[in-house]
Amino acid sequence: MDSKIILFTCNWNAYSGLEAAGTERMSYSPMVYPIRLSCLGRITPGIILKAFEKGADGVYLLGCSESECHYQTGSHQVEEVYLESQNLLTLLGYGKNQLQLDFIPTGDGASFVEKVENFVNGIQDLQSDK
Amino acid sequence: MNSIMESIQSNRVWFCLDCGKCSSVCPITRHMVDGYSSPRLLVETAIGNGEDEILEDPLLWTCLTCKRCSEICPSVVHFSEFIQDVRELARGQNHSGECTHSGMIQTWSRMMVDPEMRQNRLGWVEEGLRVSTESDTLYFVGCLPYYDAAFEKLNIEGVSIANAALKILNHLGIEPVVLEDERCCGHDQFWQGDMDTFRGLAEVNLGNIMDTEAKRIITTCPECAWTLKHTYPDTIGDSGMEVLHLTELLAESDLSGIIPGNQDSSIQKVTYQDPCRLGRYSGVYEAPRDLIMGLGYEIREMDHNRKASLCCGTSCWSSCGQVNKKNQVERLREAKSTGADLLITACQKCQIHLKCAQSGPVLEGELQIDIRDLTTLIADHL
Repeated sequence: MDSKIILFTCNWNAYSGLEAAGTERMSYSPMVYPIRLSCLGRITPGIILKAFEKGADGVYLLGCSESECHYQTGSHQVEEVYLESQNLLTLLGYGKNQLQLDFIPTGDGASFVEKVENFVNGIQDLQSDK
Repeated sequence: MNSIMESIQSNRVWFCLDCGKCSSVCPITRHMVDGYSSPRLLVETAIGNGEDEILEDPLLWTCLTCKRCSEICPSVVHFSEFIQDVRELARGQNHSGECTHSGMIQTWSRMMVDPEMRQNRLGWVEEGLRVSTESDTLYFVGCLPYYDAAFEKLNIEGVSIANAALKILNHLGIEPVVLEDERCCGHDQFWQGDMDTFRGLAEVNLGNIMDTEAKRIITTCPECAWTLKHTYPDTIGDSGMEVLHLTELLAESDLSGIIPGNQDSSIQKVTYQDPCRLGRYSGVYEAPRDLIMGLGYEIREMDHNRKASLCCGTSCWSSCGQVNKKNQVERLREAKSTGADLLITACQKCQIHLKCAQSGPVLEGELQIDIRDLTTLIADHL
């Protein structure tokens, strides 16, 4: 079954991981639509809800760990937005797995592909259970 | 609404060209620094400059539809209704106000239009409180669970208002129906002219309401009450049910033995913020005040009260900026100057907006006064 998955990456660890996966010719699911932000701290619950409104089956937020955030507070900000959005999505009847937040080391293509594939598999399992 | 001319006629706004009395009380006009907006100016633009200009005018979206102008109007102009009509036409040409909170509230409302959506929104009902599926009373909760999730940082009362309402209703011997898949009532969408979303929400709600055996609807949100009571019958269909804000129900209930005196001795003096939809729209001014006095508190009125009450500053989660903030600051200063220990309101949006203004770092200390919803205050006394 086809899914539509929106992947928000920051410009740093996550996007360098995406680029590394590309240069290393690693593949990941074509159902993933990556959108790059300067920092995940710029995401808002409104943007996340909008993705679901427009038909996304899952939204994955991939950025930097707190100690590696290029703007110091971005990881903390996205954590707050993530929790708020989770609560709103739960009320709207979505599963907790449909929105996830994670981070990868900089330029780690293998880690990027592994995490994204795990997320995609989780969404696919959810859809096949329905 | 088919045309601006039709709205000008039906809402009598041509009278505005010769008047402008409301400019002195309009909460937007009074605080506008960059540019100028007044009800009269918007009417002038609509009549004098033609349809295209008014539909594209960004000032069209600043009106709070608080009806302060209508209270002072000598010519019975329906200005808020005119604004609603013009916004509806402007929406048709893809104009809209600027959404606040990254548009999340408008987004979740649009998502709720889907009749197949199954929400998970009843987690708030506290143990020991009783709801029923067969009652003749329906409690329409509104967006409280969502506001709780969205405004956690402001420390607002969200589902605690809903639980308090249930506690009060149970105390009166009422075990209300609570809808499992209630949608946003669509108030904001209606007043922002987004009729597609409004109609979608209203149709699902009306269907769900009609499926119950209820004969009356109780709300704790003045906007839900007004929308269910007036906007649904005017635009979508009439459920035939009586609609009451909780304070209206309590005003006509026998409260003897239910509400004992003031239990919190640290709070003696309170002040009350009239929500626009409960006050100027529904004309309910005294019921909440009687309830507050019944709880044993002394009411210190703000300078602007009842019909002259000031709006909490923002409406419809749209176009919030410095003018709106100035209104909120003014209102909070008024509340503080009464010497009251507590600011009571009967609308959760008033609470959200005023607490938001308090959360700003610059005037933090100056604007601090506890804000509570009347519903939770009453429940504390049970």
